[in-house]
Amino acid sequence: MAILASELINWSALWKIVVAALVGGVGVVVVFGVLLYGVKIANDAKSGGREWAGYALAGVCGLICVAAIVVGIYAMAEKPSSKKPAPKKTAAALIAPSFRPSS
Amino acid sequence: MGSELILILVVVAGFSFDFTNGFHDTANAMATSIATGALKPKVAVILSACLNFAGAFISISVAATIAKGIVNPKVLAGGDGLELVLAALIGAMTWNLITWYFTIPSSSSHALIGGVIGATIVATASSEINWHNLVQTVIVPAVLSPFIAGGVAALGTYLAYRLIRRLGQREARTGYRYGQIFSASLVSLAHGTNDAQKTMGVISLALIAHGDISAVHFSVPLWVKLGCALSIALGTASGGWRIINTMGNRITNVESPQGFAAESSSAAVILASSYYGYPLSTTQVVSGGVLGAGLGKNVDSVHWNVIGQMLSAWILTMPGAGALGGLAWAIADIFGAHANVGAIVICALAAAGAFGLWTLAQRNKVTADDLDRTNVSPVEEAELAGVPPAVAAA
Repeated sequence: MAILASELINWSALWKIVVAALVGGVGVVVVFGVLLYGVKIANDAKSGGREWAGYALAGVCGLICVAAIVVGIYAMAEKPSSKKPAPKKTAAALIAPSFRPSS
Repeated sequence: MGSELILILVVVAGFSFDFTNGFHDTANAMATSIATGALKPKVAVILSACLNFAGAFISISVAATIAKGIVNPKVLAGGDGLELVLAALIGAMTWNLITWYFTIPSSSSHALIGGVIGATIVATASSEINWHNLVQTVIVPAVLSPFIAGGVAALGTYLAYRLIRRLGQREARTGYRYGQIFSASLVSLAHGTNDAQKTMGVISLALIAHGDISAVHFSVPLWVKLGCALSIALGTASGGWRIINTMGNRITNVESPQGFAAESSSAAVILASSYYGYPLSTTQVVSGGVLGAGLGKNVDSVHWNVIGQMLSAWILTMPGAGALGGLAWAIADIFGAHANVGAIVICALAAAGAFGLWTLAQRNKVTADDLDRTNVSPVEEAELAGVPPAVAAA
């Protein structure tokens, strides 16, 4: 049963997806929440220093969120299938290995 | 002349499938943003349409060939390849319309794979299908993806509500509404990249089978890219309000922090899986994300009967689209050597079926105005969620 599962499930890709999803998904939600918290600190501030600290916190979190979007677009544009070298653009490339003649 | 006519029908069917894919999957990106009032419904679908169009051009990768590694490509590129691809597209498109009529989000990619498999089995033999690869690259990811997205969204939602206690209801809910626009946009862009390319692959394969483009120096013609991008964008812009209603309102009552968590988690899962070469269905990921966002706030807020309907549709998608694809092939095959007559007949039947479903759907129509919640303020949203008025206004 375990052998069958290891054959059918691509664990190496799966754990990377789970880690990336946790970092990207949960991370962005938390960082965006901290951004809002920074704005709240700035809005509620009674001193100039606290106001700037709030805006600085919001700014850093905003940059992290923008970076996450950039990484997302990079992942779309540079997915592994886009890195295929020219020789693979042949008729043979259209035939999956499992269907190719063994000889 | 016969094969030219069938090629034209394949191209039209391909663009039509992309159109159904667009309006079927608008919900994936925009349902939660519409449900929380972050965007007006029509603004949301137009934004999503533009991003789907742009997304179709983002990746420079060779468009994925359909059912790669599952169906022997020699069959699809062979003598009956054009008719087979046409039958597969008709099967997938009809399944998309049936699930749209029943307001259920289901995977357009699985419908396409199912259509190809069904038509191939009826046309040739099941030995042309690599069942091991089907389980490994389609079934297993389909089972796992809602759990991954759901788990991430549940954790994100839980943490978002912990943060809201420190933030105050009004600021938090307003802020997460703005955030939703960006997270939903990223999902739209990813959808355009992944799904428009699948149809580009189908049409390119038909062009190879017809001898218009070379398999040796394979590249997708610009008119195919433009046609697919435009079709998916027009489909997205046309709404798909029935499925948006299910995804945004019927799975759970989505609030802005949940919507942001669901879309961010879904975007992260879709992009990571695309990057690491583990293709997941956008629909199943987002459905899992919305479910997780519901669970992350309150288990009782999830409408399990709707989840049950969705699961049934997911299980039935490949066999259903496969049966329709196989049926389309069988009907076309009745005309034997007059392949062009058979192709015209199955296209006419599909068009009649689509019109019939559209007519039936008019009886219990869902419109953009029914879904507009932009008039609900963040404070009212908090009050509707059971937050005491004094706390909601804070």
